[in-house]
Amino acid sequence: MTIVQPIQIQVAQDVFEAWDMLCADGRADCLKTALASFPEAQRKMAHWQLENAVKEISETRIMPGPTGERNELSTQGRGVFLCTSFIDTEKATVGLVGQVFTALVAGNPVITVGPTGQEIMDAIAPFVAEGVIQNVAESAQDSLIEAENLAGVAVLCNAEQAKALNQRLVAKSGLICQLVEETDSETLSTIAKPHYLLRFVTERTVSINTTAVGGNATLLELGSMDD
Amino acid sequence: MFKAIEVLQPNFIQRPLNELWQLISPLYSMDEEKWLNELLPLAKPTNKELEHCTNAATNLIAQVRQDDDSMSMIDALLLEYSLDTKEGILLMCLAEALMRVPDKETADAFIKDRLSVADWASHAKNSDSFFVNASTWGLLLTGKIVTMDETKDGQPANLVNRMVNRVSEPVIRKAMNQAMKVMGHQFVLGRSIKEALSRGKSYRDKGYTYSFDMLGEAALTASDADKYLTSYMQAVESVGKDTYNQKHRPTISIKLSALHPRYEVGCEERVMTELFDSVKGLIIKARSLNVGITIDAEEADRLELSLHLFEKLYRDEAIRGWGLFGLVIQAYSKRALPVLAWLAALAKEQGDQVPVRLVKGAYWDSEIKLCQQRGITGYPVYTRKESTDVSYLACARFLLSEHTRANIFPQFASHNAHTIAAITCLATELGATTEEFEFQRLHGMGDALYNRLIKDSDICVRIYAPVGSHKDLLPYLVRRLLENGANSSFVHRLIDASYPISDLVHHPVTTLESRKTLINPHIKVPTELFDDRKNSFGPNIEIDAEWTPFKAQIDTFMGQDTQWRAYPIVGGENLATANTHTVESPYDHSQTAGQIDWADTATVTKAIDLAEAAFPEWSTRPASDRADCLDRMADLMEENYPELMALCHREAGKTIQDSIDEVREAVDFCRYYAQQARSHFATPTTYTDFLGQEQKAQLTGRGVFTCISPWNFPLAIFTGQVAAALVVGNTVVAKPAEQTSLIAFRAIELLHQAGVPGDVLHLLPGDGATVGAPLTSDKRIAGLAFTGSTGTAQLINRTLANRGVAPVPVIAETGGQNAMLVDSTSLPEQVVRDAVRSAFASAGQRCSALRVLFLQEDIADRVIPMIKGAMQEQSVGLPYLHSTDVGPVIDKKAQTMLLEHIEHMTKEGKLIAQAELPAFANNGTFVAPTAFEISSIDQLTDEKFGPILHVVRYKARDLDKIIDTINNSGFGLTLGVHSRNETTCARIASRARVGNLYINRDQVGAVVGVQPFGGQGLSGTGPKAGGPHYLQRFAIEQDL
Repeated sequence: MTIVQPIQIQVAQDVFEAWDMLCADGRADCLKTALASFPEAQRKMAHWQLENAVKEISETRIMPGPTGERNELSTQGRGVFLCTSFIDTEKATVGLVGQVFTALVAGNPVITVGPTGQEIMDAIAPFVAEGVIQNVAESAQDSLIEAENLAGVAVLCNAEQAKALNQRLVAKSGLICQLVEETDSETLSTIAKPHYLLRFVTERTVSINTTAVGGNATLLELGSMDD
Repeated sequence: MFKAIEVLQPNFIQRPLNELWQLISPLYSMDEEKWLNELLPLAKPTNKELEHCTNAATNLIAQVRQDDDSMSMIDALLLEYSLDTKEGILLMCLAEALMRVPDKETADAFIKDRLSVADWASHAKNSDSFFVNASTWGLLLTGKIVTMDETKDGQPANLVNRMVNRVSEPVIRKAMNQAMKVMGHQFVLGRSIKEALSRGKSYRDKGYTYSFDMLGEAALTASDADKYLTSYMQAVESVGKDTYNQKHRPTISIKLSALHPRYEVGCEERVMTELFDSVKGLIIKARSLNVGITIDAEEADRLELSLHLFEKLYRDEAIRGWGLFGLVIQAYSKRALPVLAWLAALAKEQGDQVPVRLVKGAYWDSEIKLCQQRGITGYPVYTRKESTDVSYLACARFLLSEHTRANIFPQFASHNAHTIAAITCLATELGATTEEFEFQRLHGMGDALYNRLIKDSDICVRIYAPVGSHKDLLPYLVRRLLENGANSSFVHRLIDASYPISDLVHHPVTTLESRKTLINPHIKVPTELFDDRKNSFGPNIEIDAEWTPFKAQIDTFMGQDTQWRAYPIVGGENLATANTHTVESPYDHSQTAGQIDWADTATVTKAIDLAEAAFPEWSTRPASDRADCLDRMADLMEENYPELMALCHREAGKTIQDSIDEVREAVDFCRYYAQQARSHFATPTTYTDFLGQEQKAQLTGRGVFTCISPWNFPLAIFTGQVAAALVVGNTVVAKPAEQTSLIAFRAIELLHQAGVPGDVLHLLPGDGATVGAPLTSDKRIAGLAFTGSTGTAQLINRTLANRGVAPVPVIAETGGQNAMLVDSTSLPEQVVRDAVRSAFASAGQRCSALRVLFLQEDIADRVIPMIKGAMQEQSVGLPYLHSTDVGPVIDKKAQTMLLEHIEHMTKEGKLIAQAELPAFANNGTFVAPTAFEISSIDQLTDEKFGPILHVVRYKARDLDKIIDTINNSGFGLTLGVHSRNETTCARIASRARVGNLYINRDQVGAVVGVQPFGGQGLSGTGPKAGGPHYLQRFAIEQDL
């Protein structure tokens, strides 16, 4: 049986690599230009997420280890994220904006849902490449949730809705689709934490044998170094 | 430890040979400070000697600097392109790789990559050497051309640029190849012995003689070894026919690693028979033609093996009494002095003489790296350059002593004027005549120094001269450049006229004694590699003093009389059940390792009850208390190393090195997570929230965590998951793999012994239906860590989600379809070594193992036969034997699946090679390492977890398509890349969707805290095990 992916997923996947390659600083710069059109509370949330991302993931971390090799730890986006809210309050919208900016700055293309999603998309779309953020009608949300190539769903909902959504996601085959749920739409206790961002990234280690070319001149210098 | 000074007593070398032999190995990783204190008195000059030596060195350097030809072209090149410059490294890289690239497309891209990123202009006209300037201008111009290709405005800055811009890429390629050939020409005396003898005549007229070195890499295959043997034979014949009338005839230097594909300790039996026969044949020929043979020194791991072989050859009737069969000893080795003493005693016992070339040593950087990687307790080499110089002079004093000279003919190889002066002074002091020793230097280096020496004395100076094609020069060239290209090297300073002579003539003893410590503080010992935790220890199985006693301890657990008895452990108690299973050894099903009772459903429930009840107390303990438990666990594992290794052998079928790596990884997990917990869980973190308010948050445990681990890393992954869950404050119910529960049982016992309370941690051995299902369906489970197949991870995830409770974290590490991309700039020998290890080590039963090797078609016909040859050298066998490379697969089910795949691929693909199985293979579950050539990765449906490699050819221009294909498989665990083109590496790195990318190395063996490990997509959820974000996922971040 041929599974037809929703067109939005395909579009998002096509742009994923280029968006992810921009690195966190580059994405944050793009997204910062979109902040002005958001109401203050949403803007503060979005700005905070961008700043947090720049602080947490913009730099490649050099891991300690033996001489003659270089080990780098960095992050990449996971893939296409659906960002949605089952709760329609002002605070929930602040949370939704936080989700969208976090997912985006982490390197993922994002699909939002419904009129609220449309407003967020409209504010961001002019500043990012086409397809990095898309919006679908609420009626299309289910087909996206069912899509095999969806990397994750970030959702504001209550506990029961989270359970139900989780059951739908795990029923799919393919990669394990991440559910990043916020069930506290009043204080946004999950979204507004520094480690929230890590749910949207995947880590990548690059190990380079630096002695394959050019030997280990640095070490040789150490062998002759004065104390 | 023996008293070094005693070697100066004439009767020292009259001791029994075996007694002297026993002094060698224990010095392998001896405490450097202690040993140097022993050596210093041998090297320390008297005031008179010091004055004499300093004056002699000063005069020599002054005279050399005054000579018109003081700087050879190579010297000049090294001076300008010091290895501390970017351009120096790039130049070396070009020299190393360009000439072996067969296709123009890749060569052009490589040149562009190398030349466009360096500042060649800054080197133009800096040197007086025409050669250097010509090279620089060549590089500069081609660099400009390449750079300008990148410019988009099409407005070159000046006329020269416009002119060179017209030069096409083939012209640049040709020019660069020519430049590299010119460089090669400076380092190689000739492409054949005939040419070398002819080119060497002018030096011989000056009084020099030669030792010829046939260039080449170590043999990977039997046919490589045959090729090198033929080449040495021809060299011997050519030198034998040499009619130049000279007192000191040229000799041949041989590398044993070129003459046997498995010249290593694990294959000692083959070395002492097959390699012995080859070398003996060569020596018989050499003796008949009176051409001396010298065995070159190689890596420290091979020293003791090389001495065994030397002794057997030396004592052979055909060689006995010859006097021209010698070897090389490296002074940077802590074992050098006792080796020399043993050699002198050996020669004395036999009543003849051994020529011994004393060098400082050329593999220093790789020895240091290797020991750090392996967690050896110390280094086999000195960490300060002046310590090597001290050792050199200590050895020299012994070699020049009257009682030694009769049995050893010392050949001092050095380019350091001070060393030469010191040796000369020592010889005078000890009464050695110039007939009783000689000096040696490298072709192309130290010309001025030795021209002066040879002019002023009648001492023999031998030039060590590489012979061979320019293509084979490259690894040699890199070694030489590294030795002498660094700014700090004597060669570099000698030719740098601005460097004061007085600074070049410090006696190494004076320099060393002026240091605060004899050990170099900049180079930490391997066990102290990390600032914030202790590195795990690993014995070196290649070294007798390290391995023999360790093995003896393992052997106490290897007999059938040792049987482990394991049970579910709940609440700290062993709970016997009626469901008892016998554990058979995968390599021999008639052998058992023990018995284990599997848990029943009631036991599972009881464990969860207790774990739930224990959570509040455990989670509120200080994080440092929990971390202390892990540190104690790490220590306990190291204390019980031999038993755990025996379990790895007998229960999991792991080879010796795999078993060491297994224990080390488990130890590292404990120490790393302990350190991480202390850093991130001990105190609340403060942050400013999005409203600008300061907040405090604390990471705490979630509750009862389920840990489900696989059989392929039965101790490391099992312990890693459990340790991570525990240290953040969770209680744990752990289900090990059915196949490897005995070692898990011991791990849990040790964790309890380390202080983890019995009601906090429970072991539930059993199958998925009885134990796995209730462990994932219980509503109280607050999170789960799993390593295994993608399908099982999905099932577990569904079971957890259908419990009707809030979603919980699932940390899953799953499968892969791991590839390696190899382009034509790569070094084939390195590719083959890394591909074979990545595909077949651990019988391919590593998550990271290589499954699909993509070879650029231009080199495929060269590399595939090398893979075939290397696979034929793989030894499949009993995992506890040092000679075994590949052990069994885990069980019958795995074996059947793999054999079916081999059968399928035999029809669908083209068989490249299949290693031989041992005669006893049917006693266990062995699968022969097998390689197939296939047309596309699409021919593979899922991962085959065993020793099966698939090879796909690709066109250079299709690289992006290949990356797309790999990405489209959905798996994203490991990817290997072999390329000297950094632009290519960077491109692959940025495009490939994999968790762990390895460049110019093998792709297995990730190290905790150094190379955090885990995949993406179908290969896992993350975060990475052994990484800085792993523990957070086991925890909740709570506002305070």
